[in-house]
Amino acid sequence: MGDLLGLVAKRLGFGLLTLLVISVIIFFMVELLPGDIAQAVLGQGATEENLAALREQMGLNKPAVVRYFEWLGNALTGDFGTSIVTGERVSTIITERFINTLFLAAYAAVIAVPFAVTLGIVVALLRNTLFDRVVNVLTLTSISSPEFFLGYILILYLAVKTGMFPAISSLRPGMTFWELLDRTFLPALTLVLVVTAHMMRMTRAAIINLLASPYIEMARLKGAPPWKVIVRHALPNAWAPIINVIALNLAYLITGVVLVEVVFVYPGIGQALVDAVSKRDFPIVQSCCLIFAATFILLNLAADVAAILTNPRLRHPK
Amino acid sequence: MSDKKQVLLDIRNLRIEGYTGEEWVPIIKGVDLKLHRGEVMGLIGESGAGKSTIGAAAMGFARDGTRISEGSIEFDGMELTTASEAEKRALRGSRIAYVAQSAAASFNPAHKIIDQHTEAPLHYRIQKRLEAQEDAMDLYERLRLPNPKEIGFRYPHQVSGGQLQRAMTAMAMACRPDLIIFDEPTTALDVTTQIEVLAAIRDIVDQFNTAAIYITHDLAVVAQMADTIKVLLKGEEVEQAPTEEMLQSPREDYTKSLWAVRSYQRPQQSRPEGEKPVISVQHVDAAYTGGVKVLDDVSFDIYRGMTVAVVGESGSGKSTAARCITGLLPPSKGQVLSNGEPLPPNYLNRSKDQLRQVQMIYQMADTALNPKVRISEIIGRPAQFYSGLRGADLKHRVDELLDLIELDPSKFYNRYPPELSGGQKQRIGIARALAAEPSFIICDEVTSALDQLVAEGILKLLDRLQKELDLAYMFITHDLATVRAIADEVVVMQNGKVVEQGPKDEMFTPPHHPYTDLLLSSVPEMDPNWLTTLLEERGVENVGEAADV
Amino acid sequence: MSVFVIIYFACLIASSCLAAYYEKRPTFLTLFSLTLISFVLGIVGGVPALRFVATAAGLLAFAAGISFAFREFIVIIAPANISKEVRTAPLTAAFGMFVIFTYAIAGIFAPWIAPYGESEVIASAFAMPDENMLLGADQLGRDMFSRIIYGARNTVGLALLATLAAFFMGAFAGLLAATKGGWFDQFMGRFADVIMSIPSLIFALLMLSIFGPQVTVIIVAVAIIYAPRVFRLTRAVAGNVVVMDYIEAAKLRGEKTWYLIRKEILPNSTAPLIAEFGLEFCFVFLLVAGLSFLGLGIQPPTADWGSMVRENATMISFGEITPLIPAAAIALLTVAVNFVVDWMLFRSSGLKE
Repeated sequence: MGDLLGLVAKRLGFGLLTLLVISVIIFFMVELLPGDIAQAVLGQGATEENLAALREQMGLNKPAVVRYFEWLGNALTGDFGTSIVTGERVSTIITERFINTLFLAAYAAVIAVPFAVTLGIVVALLRNTLFDRVVNVLTLTSISSPEFFLGYILILYLAVKTGMFPAISSLRPGMTFWELLDRTFLPALTLVLVVTAHMMRMTRAAIINLLASPYIEMARLKGAPPWKVIVRHALPNAWAPIINVIALNLAYLITGVVLVEVVFVYPGIGQALVDAVSKRDFPIVQSCCLIFAATFILLNLAADVAAILTNPRLRHPK
Repeated sequence: MSDKKQVLLDIRNLRIEGYTGEEWVPIIKGVDLKLHRGEVMGLIGESGAGKSTIGAAAMGFARDGTRISEGSIEFDGMELTTASEAEKRALRGSRIAYVAQSAAASFNPAHKIIDQHTEAPLHYRIQKRLEAQEDAMDLYERLRLPNPKEIGFRYPHQVSGGQLQRAMTAMAMACRPDLIIFDEPTTALDVTTQIEVLAAIRDIVDQFNTAAIYITHDLAVVAQMADTIKVLLKGEEVEQAPTEEMLQSPREDYTKSLWAVRSYQRPQQSRPEGEKPVISVQHVDAAYTGGVKVLDDVSFDIYRGMTVAVVGESGSGKSTAARCITGLLPPSKGQVLSNGEPLPPNYLNRSKDQLRQVQMIYQMADTALNPKVRISEIIGRPAQFYSGLRGADLKHRVDELLDLIELDPSKFYNRYPPELSGGQKQRIGIARALAAEPSFIICDEVTSALDQLVAEGILKLLDRLQKELDLAYMFITHDLATVRAIADEVVVMQNGKVVEQGPKDEMFTPPHHPYTDLLLSSVPEMDPNWLTTLLEERGVENVGEAADV
Repeated sequence: MSVFVIIYFACLIASSCLAAYYEKRPTFLTLFSLTLISFVLGIVGGVPALRFVATAAGLLAFAAGISFAFREFIVIIAPANISKEVRTAPLTAAFGMFVIFTYAIAGIFAPWIAPYGESEVIASAFAMPDENMLLGADQLGRDMFSRIIYGARNTVGLALLATLAAFFMGAFAGLLAATKGGWFDQFMGRFADVIMSIPSLIFALLMLSIFGPQVTVIIVAVAIIYAPRVFRLTRAVAGNVVVMDYIEAAKLRGEKTWYLIRKEILPNSTAPLIAEFGLEFCFVFLLVAGLSFLGLGIQPPTADWGSMVRENATMISFGEITPLIPAAAIALLTVAVNFVVDWMLFRSSGLKE
């Protein structure tokens, strides 16, 4: 067992290190600005006094390294500084939106993951049949379509033409859970379409890869019926690749969510990020990037750890 | 084989086709096979003969990308070519079982060995779980596995290769089938391990009077195992006869030529007087990153015009020694001298001339030649690189080299490696080494990937080149027949150490170092009674643990 | 019962019978099950549903026809070794090639094909299509069709440049890392891992917020984001080649790194690398389209598919399909490239399953 814990610890350590390096990249990339942040925010016409005041307010007079550690320390305690544009605390702007985004992503994931994995396994078993070909073309089309294309098609047909669902997913306090699900159905469906396609294709590939193993042929030659070959011989070894596929695609979700939120005017963190980018509100941009990157890394980390834990060779060392 | 015995498996005019991506081409071209209850038939042939395909077909199984196009396969009165999947499935594991080449890959890593063993008996409701486990332990004991009560509860990766292969044989026996297909079960094993597996398989097949088809390319192995031998060539039968008869008086020329290969032997030479060795390895230690020591105080000398064979099983360090000589793996201690001068340990620090002196020929000709480069350039590059030849001179030199390796320059000059046969590729590999005009060539298992006839041609060619060009060879091999054929001196290695070295004649006459003895006696011989005699000599009891650790 | 419905079912049943007669089992099954489904569809959805099915089937048949013709065309005009490969290509791949070819023509000859200039205002905002304007006007009264044609040049061109930049950086580093090995390899691998653990769109947004939405910034940002992915793949492909004995032989001969890469490794990695180029192009194209949709890509008045969707999105709430055409153009090209890549991967992997 010592080996296993060692491996997991090593993987965790590497994940944390990556996160640290990324925080450095996110912080110091802003330092690459010609002039400084105050200059960029106030523009060329700013007076010296205004600039000096802003610099003082943002603490720009301290060396960058010191500011980095302050920023990181504060971020760890949930304090992301203040917006340069509105002066509000970043954490108050972001927190609620982050929860909204998580809700949307979870909504999509709950539908997409079981559906995609099941479909992937079914298609792998029916490979090279007509069904497989049709699913292949459909998923390829789905992968190839920009999220906003799928989103607008859904709006056009399911909202504008038939009026089944609301086209804009604005939220208001005091909505019932059912209302919430109805309101966010279209953005969630858009995400489901994209993620399912990716996930299904990868699951199919992973399973087909597995079915080529000699021990699967051996199981067939031992007279095991097809369902038993899958359930008893393929699945126990398929967990690691499938978990990896799921994690990878939840990462797609993270990127996809930004575009989908903009299409459906959904009050999530992605929209906040896009707004902040066009207004050059750096504290918000940095915080959002850090949150997205951290989520992404944590997902991959969880997948890797799960893959290590389900590997029979590592679970039962010599 | 009397006709009174009941016919178990009757294959008539079997034709199997394989899909190449464009069309279906014949793999098996009309083979008949008749197997009686309790009979063991050896199927032998070179690669591409279709042995494995026939083995799978005997279970009514056609691998992906192949199909049975004609003929009938009758197992105990049941026609398999027309049977439904469910009917065929009901036979597999219960009445016909299969033992694959690589046990390590064929056991499911996710389940304990015994759970995989009991799967078939439980599925067919022949035994209850506890009974089946008891029975598995009994079979493990009969197959002389260590700790038969406990070993089944381990996972496949926790057990050594030789033991796994025996566990797989036990698994095949679980339902006491009428027929077992053994598909090269010992090919992946070292000689010393092979013995135990062979003995175990033979005993258990005897004890339960199971019929078997034993597929292998090794004549000596099949001689120990089979009652009847069928020789195949390119999907067709060459001949079939009882083992004794087949060994003593083969009818067909092809079979005779297979038998004859083993008799090639060249006279032994002795060291030239008063010369420094071309290559001298002195007290070399080596370790891979991670600190695992793979060579421990290795020393040997190789003189001009001589062949030194370095033998040992996998993991003995024989290839690592070659890597130290070439400078790919700088030794952690000791040095390598070339004509008395020390060579820089890392090849990056060696001069062009030092690099030129030491050349290599590889085991797998497929991976040793760049498939995207013309033969003329493969051979021409060293000549151009070291001797600065250009234009017509270069072409002349390449033609000369092609002549030297007995390939027609006009036919091969502009071709690419994938268009060549295995033997031709290996010859190109030799030509590339010669193009550098070396004094010393390392031959790394150069014949083990080749069919026997082709391998003999390569050995003869190397022998001729050595005489003509006065070359020194270091011959890395695990095959003692090759050593006997071509070596002047032998270095025996085990676990990174040299256990014994000396002239070949001395090495092959007792007394030996115990390990050399084990190695020598483990090489199967053509005598059908060899295994029986050997096991009696060694005493069956201690056979189990000797080398299989 | 309208005439259309009668003809619809007559065609389906007749073609199913033909398929059955010629023993085309899958075709027959498809056609006949379509017939049965159509009964239900006709009852539930009425004539419009059947019309939809008929249109879809017609489009599919049209695409298949074009693909077939295009494949035959290539087989005839291409040199022998290429035409042999193309002959075995599936129709989807032929369709992909046809689409890519069309886009290339549209992009290269945009000024001659487009009836109006890229930013020429010719009508009122959101004017309906008429004989002058195939697809109507956009939010500023510019010809939609002309802008889509120009978009082929701008959007695809930008994505192509960015992909090329990412590809050369990544492939070069990958080949070098595979050949050199050692600490350089380790370092590059770790570095790529770190860059890749920032989601691509997020990283692009970060860089664009700092350096502003300019074409050069987009290209550099995309190159930095995608080079590690190309690096990973090239490293893996080249890694499989580097372990070959012929590389060892060349190293022991004393060949320099550059010779090894150029003569020994590259020729044996081209097939997967070309396929990877197609795949990367798809990712980059979608990313660039996403950025311009967010208003952070190519800036107006230059025509660009992503921003065209955003600018005209309000028309969607009136049930108009026009704003979706640029988005469909993006999807179509990505699908096409994916079809071709699928075929190339299948061929280079040599998988016959």
